Amino acid sequence: MRNTKGRNAFIFAFLSPAVLIYAVFLVWPLLQSFQMSMYRWRGVSRNRKFIGAENFNNLFQDPVFWKSLQNTGTLLVVAGIATIALGVLLAHLTDGDGAVRKFARAIYLFPQVISLVAVALIWQFQLNPKYGLVTDMLFRLGLPVRDPGIVRDPRYAFSAIAVAFVWHALGFFVLLFSAGLKQISGEIKEASALDGSEGWHRFRHVTWPLLWSVKRTAITYLLIHILTVFALVFVMTEGGPDRGTETIVSYLYEQIAKNGQYGYASALAVVVFGVSMVASLAVLAYFRKDPTAGARA
Amino acid sequence: MKARQWIGTVALTAYLAVIVVPLVWVLISSLKTSPEIFASPWSLPAKPKFENYAAAWNEAGLAKYFWNSVLVTVGSLAALIPIGAMASYIFARYPFRGSKLLYAIFLGGMMFPNFLVLAPLTDLLRRLGLTESLVGLGIVYVAFSLSFTVFVLTGFFQSVPTELEEAAVLDGCGHLMVYRKIMLPLARPGLIVAAIFNGLGLWNEFNLALVLANSESIRTLPIGLANLTMARQYQADWGSVFAALVIVMLPAFVVYWRYRERIYEAMLAGAVKG
Repeated sequence: MRNTKGRNAFIFAFLSPAVLIYAVFLVWPLLQSFQMSMYRWRGVSRNRKFIGAENFNNLFQDPVFWKSLQNTGTLLVVAGIATIALGVLLAHLTDGDGAVRKFARAIYLFPQVISLVAVALIWQFQLNPKYGLVTDMLFRLGLPVRDPGIVRDPRYAFSAIAVAFVWHALGFFVLLFSAGLKQISGEIKEASALDGSEGWHRFRHVTWPLLWSVKRTAITYLLIHILTVFALVFVMTEGGPDRGTETIVSYLYEQIAKNGQYGYASALAVVVFGVSMVASLAVLAYFRKDPTAGARA
Repeated sequence: MKARQWIGTVALTAYLAVIVVPLVWVLISSLKTSPEIFASPWSLPAKPKFENYAAAWNEAGLAKYFWNSVLVTVGSLAALIPIGAMASYIFARYPFRGSKLLYAIFLGGMMFPNFLVLAPLTDLLRRLGLTESLVGLGIVYVAFSLSFTVFVLTGFFQSVPTELEEAAVLDGCGHLMVYRKIMLPLARPGLIVAAIFNGLGLWNEFNLALVLANSESIRTLPIGLANLTMARQYQADWGSVFAALVIVMLPAFVVYWRYRERIYEAMLAGAVKG
């Protein structure tokens, strides 16, 4: 039973606002950034000049580009290991009854829903050399954190960004792995208990392999969201000291907002787009066949 | 077993401390005078200094940033939710040639980071006369929020049983009537999830606002706060900076506390796909 009268007009009327706004303000600029990457163009001026691959050549010889790419990659690995390991652990710990566990489940996603600027400031203040809470604790432990202060110290600045990012993102991974653990059926738990598998052994050989699709989601999520670290870098370190915390997005921002190099910035965006596409596809390919499908409830 | 449980409780408590202690510390510091802040990070204020909040709200200009944020968030949602719901309804119930492809293109927007298009987008808005304008920012927000919204709402519309529609059509209801009288009310939980999740995201949005709307009079709260603290680096009134931070987090906390179960749902739904 389908009402066909005026069906096409209805479809058109209901779909066109979304299609129009999405096409004009998202798809079109995305396609344009590919075109712009081949022009020398400083935004404000009307004249743009086609220069082919020159932006890309310059980019690949730009040490700051490589530095920011490397920093972003390092952050991805460090934050990835930290969030996934802690996420799995805390998903186990927050599971169950009791006031503390219930409170944990009520609060753990809060760092994720506040503005990244707020996250950056919370950490910047805690790491402040004069009045910071964390600085004070580390200083009492004997670390030389007062001068010039953690976020200005080349030895610590990168770690500070990583810690702030993990603090912000961790709750999501706890949520994700908690949902994953719930999907593992009671039968499997019972069966492995009967086989005498428990504790670390059960985790290593039963639980961890069964978290297959959750791991894929976690890594894909990280690939997309690692770039949001920009707000942290912008507020806490502005990419310094000595480009030590420069990430790919903070460098892109610098090229647009400070230097007005729209063509160069677009080339940078295209390369990042390519790299993240390849990485996403690699993740998809690696996790394509779920060997544990059917084992979950 | 005993020992393991004990270690687990300790680890969990440590985790909670890592979340809660910084927040409580910010709250306490927001009630201290600058000399008290510098005297010790651990001390309590001799007398809570609520004037810090007035200073942040009025003198530091947070009031203006706050209303700008309210305006752009509410305005974007007011356009986003109807537009997204209409498109989702079509994707869920009116298949046509190419509709699967179009849906996939919409979902694709969740897969790539928004800042990648900043340079062409800035140029486009400039040509339309929409740079440094909350309207321009709002339109961009709608465009960039459509992917997730369409994804969530299509799922909700698909889950509504078709019998109700069929009965309504037999009663002589037209397309629009079925949508308004039957589908929209039934999809309400989905609309709420989409509104809360997008609302939080837009309230906090930083990258686009920084590039597209950074003049003093139209700054949103995140941009205003970032500017405030970066400009105040060498000024003295730290208590009010902490107060500003609390003011920024408070609305998010209220929404989170009230709707956290739905936020969890929305995050998991988005994650499965994204």
